[in-house]
Amino acid sequence: MTAKARIRGVIIVGLLPALFIFCFFVIVPIIWSAWYGFYDWKGIGAMKFIGFGNYAEIIQDPVFATSLRNNLIVVAASVFGQVPIALALALVLRQSTLYQRIIRSVVFLPMVLSSVVIGIIWGYIYHPQIGILNSLLDWIGLGTWKQAWLSNPNISMYMLAIPIIWNFIGPYMIMYIAALQNIPSEIEDASAIDGAKPMRMLFSIRLPMIWDTIKVTVVLCISGSLKTFDLIYVMTGGGPAHSTELLASYMYNNTFSIYRFGYGSAISTSIIIISMVLIAGSQLLMRRNTR
Amino acid sequence: MKKLLLLTLMFVFTVSLIGCSSGNNKTANSEKTPAASNGNSAKKNEEKVKLSLWHNFTGNDLRATMMRDQIDKFQKDHPNIELDIQAIPPDGYKTRLKTVAAANEMPDVFMMWPGAMTKEFHDGGLIQPINALLDSKPEWRDGYLPGSFDSFTIDGNIYSATLGLTPTSILFYNKAILNQYNLEVPKTWDELLNAVKVIKEGGLTPIALGNKAAWLAQSSIISSLADRVTGTEWFLKAAAQDGAKFTDPEFVEALTYLQDLWKAGAFQEGFNSIDNTQMEVMFAQGQAAMMINGGWALSNLAANATPEQLKDMGATVLPSIPGGKGNPNSLSGALGSAFGLSSKVEGNRLQAAYDLIYALSGPEVQKMTLDSSNLVSYKAELDESKVSSIFSEVYKLVNSVERTPVYDGVMTSAGSDAVNNGLQELLMGGDPQKIAQKIQDAQATSLQ
Repeated sequence: MTAKARIRGVIIVGLLPALFIFCFFVIVPIIWSAWYGFYDWKGIGAMKFIGFGNYAEIIQDPVFATSLRNNLIVVAASVFGQVPIALALALVLRQSTLYQRIIRSVVFLPMVLSSVVIGIIWGYIYHPQIGILNSLLDWIGLGTWKQAWLSNPNISMYMLAIPIIWNFIGPYMIMYIAALQNIPSEIEDASAIDGAKPMRMLFSIRLPMIWDTIKVTVVLCISGSLKTFDLIYVMTGGGPAHSTELLASYMYNNTFSIYRFGYGSAISTSIIIISMVLIAGSQLLMRRNTR
Repeated sequence: MKKLLLLTLMFVFTVSLIGCSSGNNKTANSEKTPAASNGNSAKKNEEKVKLSLWHNFTGNDLRATMMRDQIDKFQKDHPNIELDIQAIPPDGYKTRLKTVAAANEMPDVFMMWPGAMTKEFHDGGLIQPINALLDSKPEWRDGYLPGSFDSFTIDGNIYSATLGLTPTSILFYNKAILNQYNLEVPKTWDELLNAVKVIKEGGLTPIALGNKAAWLAQSSIISSLADRVTGTEWFLKAAAQDGAKFTDPEFVEALTYLQDLWKAGAFQEGFNSIDNTQMEVMFAQGQAAMMINGGWALSNLAANATPEQLKDMGATVLPSIPGGKGNPNSLSGALGSAFGLSSKVEGNRLQAAYDLIYALSGPEVQKMTLDSSNLVSYKAELDESKVSSIFSEVYKLVNSVERTPVYDGVMTSAGSDAVNNGLQELLMGGDPQKIAQKIQDAQATSLQ
């Protein structure tokens, strides 16, 4: 037995406890949940096996379609909102002067607040009667633009995307700053000596060197957006009339409000499948871009 | 290798994120409470009797402390009965109870809800009737208001004696504002529409509404409004899908009435995104002339309005509908939760359980509940010095009108959910006919 194989053995043994806990609390419940998805079950009483009946219903369910569409809006807003903004902020704020540190804290601040608090704050910003947004519009003379921001189904989803973006820029910015600071200064110095302008430096040195971090953040972004629940739950509860329903809130409502445990489980399983597909897709796209 | 690592990481992330949400499904059913399992283990000892009791009076409000005092008093008065008490906060109570119900490990005496829950427990053979107890105390039984046992009754057997009453559709009005516009309290639908028009022209919100949680328009408005149009009998048939459907013209007509009220501008902008607490504050502070809300608003009104403002408030039933089949002098309302009795209790434990239930729901407790500003479905003398003027007005109102069912107290959860969302859609301009169809489909499917 070579030394290398022995080390590998030690590593595997060391990983086992964590792996066991992970399986027990994450993998097993997912399998259970997928299993319940094949049943018609009210939580109490007999479970009736209905095969793919729940899944057939999901495909035809107009509310599921709405929540999928809304969720894709959130995913798009996160990937094309959070990532670029966080990256731009990271590039501006990557040094550690006092001024930059203060701005960084401000950007990170929403992450520290509980999402219920954020929901309530933004609920008051959008409030139809006493909201800051409507008062602001009045004040700058755009009173005709005033809206019931969260109950107009044509715009409410986009209005909800704004606090979602605002809330999660902070952590991505921190990740980018860490990645940018990890770029060896020799490389930057060498390119400067070769006469690289800032733009050239950005696209030829910095972005390629943090590309893996960007990929990871995109994955985090997509999976985070697909499980968005708390903010929506606090701000609109998925309403009015399901117009801001997301996959997670629809799953919750079916499971815990109207006690359709089987159908709710089938929705959870669909969420897993959808996020896998989206993440695999995004990785494929981003791989082609680098080469 | 690096790519593999990255892929694994991604897998772990997605899976763990989603795992959290789906994992919750199980907590409700996998957690078992050993405390509840002593149902059959009563000792043979004739002297000492053991009973388990579950309740949700954990708060610090007047009523909860009063109930806890009563339980203490019962223990002191009955040294031979040993109580194993579980006090569970209201938020988690129903889930805990459903969990032990699923495992067939019910406590001996426990708080339960009328309607769907009682029926579920009855069908599962988990509870036993208390007719014998009621018949042994006729003066107590006859003290209840008419209909007080109906949603606890299955096949002529009564399973519980209610501790409270929640009227859900009271029309609250601000006397000062109505006077200011020279308006009478609206008694008919036309008077209501006229009042809406006049108040709106005056620049005030006619009726405050906070329908974000979606059940409000259902419990408070449509339960009573639709009853005016269709009559109670039609609703009970439609809910049972027995000879009536929610697509029937009378229900569509009821939906149209509500939509007309919205079209007349009765409610403020954005009511679908503010909650019922905010609506109560709006009304309490005189920003709206009226509000349609349930008995639960009383404590919030008392907290948000000055005594002068409270004196200005009045309460009545929703106006009558021309040609409606329902009794216009009625109010939708639900019976409050009450103590149920496990089917496993027998012998001398049964007598002890009867004593306990009587001690916690008898005439004295009903009177004390009322004096702590909670409505009861029992003929008790109200001590007006202990409650606000609006509370005694609502109390008198409830005692003078007939009570009709609340939609979500009778329909299945899926059916009620369809009504809730349908009404939000209706109040955004949705087609009443299509909404009625959705409600009909949801109720019919969930009954199968």
